[in-house]
Amino acid sequence: MELLAIAVLGVFALGYFLLGGADIGVGMLLPALGRDAHQRHLVVTSIAPFFLGNEVWLVATAAFLVGAFPELEGRLLTGLLPAVVALLASWVVRDMGLWLRGRAEARAWWAVCDAATTAGSWGVALSWGWMFAGLLAGQVDAVATGPGALPAAAAVATLFAVHGLAFARLRLAGTLHQRAAALFGRFGEWPGLALTSGAMALLCLAVGFQLPLREHAADPGTLGLLLPAALVLTPVLVAAQACVWWVFRARAEGPLYL
Amino acid sequence: MDPDTLELARLQFALTAGGHFLFVALTIGLATLVACVQTAATLTGNPVHERMTRFWGQLYVINYAVGIVTGLVMEFQFGLAWSGLMHAAGNVIGASLAMEALVAFVVEATFLGLWIFGWGRLNRWVHLGLIWVVVLTAYASAYWILVSNGFLQHPVGFERSGGQLRLTDAWAVLTNPTATTAFWHVLGGSLVTAGVFVAGVSALHLFRRTPEVKLFTASLRLGVLTALPALFVTVVAGGIQFSQLQPMKAAVFGQDDAEVAALQAAQTARFGPGDYVPPDAWTRGGAIVMLLAFALLLYLLLPSALLALITPVVRRFRLWHLVLVAAVPLPYVAMLAGWVFREMGRQPWVIDGVLRVEDAVSDVSAAAMRTSLLVFTVLFGLLLVVNWWLLLRQALRGPGAVALGRMPEETRPLSPTF
Repeated sequence: MELLAIAVLGVFALGYFLLGGADIGVGMLLPALGRDAHQRHLVVTSIAPFFLGNEVWLVATAAFLVGAFPELEGRLLTGLLPAVVALLASWVVRDMGLWLRGRAEARAWWAVCDAATTAGSWGVALSWGWMFAGLLAGQVDAVATGPGALPAAAAVATLFAVHGLAFARLRLAGTLHQRAAALFGRFGEWPGLALTSGAMALLCLAVGFQLPLREHAADPGTLGLLLPAALVLTPVLVAAQACVWWVFRARAEGPLYL
Repeated sequence: MDPDTLELARLQFALTAGGHFLFVALTIGLATLVACVQTAATLTGNPVHERMTRFWGQLYVINYAVGIVTGLVMEFQFGLAWSGLMHAAGNVIGASLAMEALVAFVVEATFLGLWIFGWGRLNRWVHLGLIWVVVLTAYASAYWILVSNGFLQHPVGFERSGGQLRLTDAWAVLTNPTATTAFWHVLGGSLVTAGVFVAGVSALHLFRRTPEVKLFTASLRLGVLTALPALFVTVVAGGIQFSQLQPMKAAVFGQDDAEVAALQAAQTARFGPGDYVPPDAWTRGGAIVMLLAFALLLYLLLPSALLALITPVVRRFRLWHLVLVAAVPLPYVAMLAGWVFREMGRQPWVIDGVLRVEDAVSDVSAAAMRTSLLVFTVLFGLLLVVNWWLLLRQALRGPGAVALGRMPEETRPLSPTF
């Protein structure tokens, strides 16, 4: 049962880092991809219908961690407190930038919201990088502070950005598409995304194997309640999200709600 | 551990939970009203109902978006600041917190995204179904959170083994009376909040004589006629809760000094020396403010329900319009005061009779806790201001300026990604 719980946690976490990682990366590159207010609006539109559904995977990951590995959750979050606070604060800032951009029509408001989206996205990616830096070294109870922490965090953030770029290439059209495609040269759209996704997945697995999950699973009684719920939920979630992706399969060429 | 950490962690939890609840209170109720109006719009095809759905839906979405991010902080708060609670009771409340996020929030957010962005792209019956899924999952969310909270108030269905609690009777936890009555209380309260909000915003438009008279007449009526019955549900569920109070909370509320002393002595004998009396001012103060706000709402809503039936009055009784506008904060005050009563009244326990607050706090430095308190307080303060500014702005601009569900002027040929 512990193995099944670990597998479920892994699926949720991969869902977040692959899907959410892409929209975070696009957010990081917002000023680079969109050079004026209209272009930036299109870049935001390219992730608008997806980002809420994507971050839901992190909510599910955290929830499953609380339910199935409660003690480890407390230990991890307390140990990594500065990085988790930075992650949450950046997440809040980024989401507000995305959600509220379209709620007022003024260049200054758009500029503020776009800045929030960009800064928040960088903050989220760097916070993950900071956490991963310590976790990869097998350090669960404290954030990494050594000389390697900063380059490691920057490397992880770069991976988010490149993954976002590969996604933006699929979602954007015209000039913006070409701008996003520049880095990839003759590499195809889908192979490019597959490559960045593979790198992201490998990173997550490497971190996952460093966590003492097996020793910290909750009681069988508790898992017996949670696992069926998670197993029923996951197909529903996947189906609903597949529906979102299908409805919004068109490249972002005109503005949407946000 | 630094004693400052405890106080800072408590303050942080109070502010984030209170801040988050301000959004939740409106979200749950307003989602219900939007779903009802959309049902009417879908059944009748009446354009007024359709515009109502989009107008109130827009306000709902703004409030929800800001509410989500405060909820995210809440989700992580247990592990960040209260890892002692997760260590001791994670097997019980970890599961219900997880169920809240997994089976309720995750589905709610996914379907809400589809509802927002799928407007006009999906079959209208499917689109209507989506908002009802959002409403039901919002209720489920409230239920699971109150199962967690109910366990803290009145722990059932567990046994102690080592330093940890073990779940023995899931059904007892799920049907814990302190959770189920609180659920109806919160649900009723949310509908009161949303009803008074809808009535207040509509009254403001009627007062300003904006052109959308028909829409706001119907909305004002909807708001008032929802809020009054919801208030009765809230009161009944609240009254039942008074019979479920912990003896100490009841004694402090009733100012029964002899009983307080007797309970203090009994708990000292049972749990060792300590102060088992909750802070009097907060506990009683919370209860009194809640009851006062309820009384004001009752005196306002009873005649309002009658006035709302008479169309010329709804359109032209301007003094009443102002009173309705002024009433918008009242349910919020009642809700927050009620939570203060419920939570302060069980101090010093985080799980009544099982785990003390001081034993639940994370082992982190006061400096780290102070920084996170500062970060979240500034962020939440900013969010509250932005939320109310945007809500007010959107509310004042009226249904003409709503972006939600607006159809694009031109339809381009699809160039699909997938």
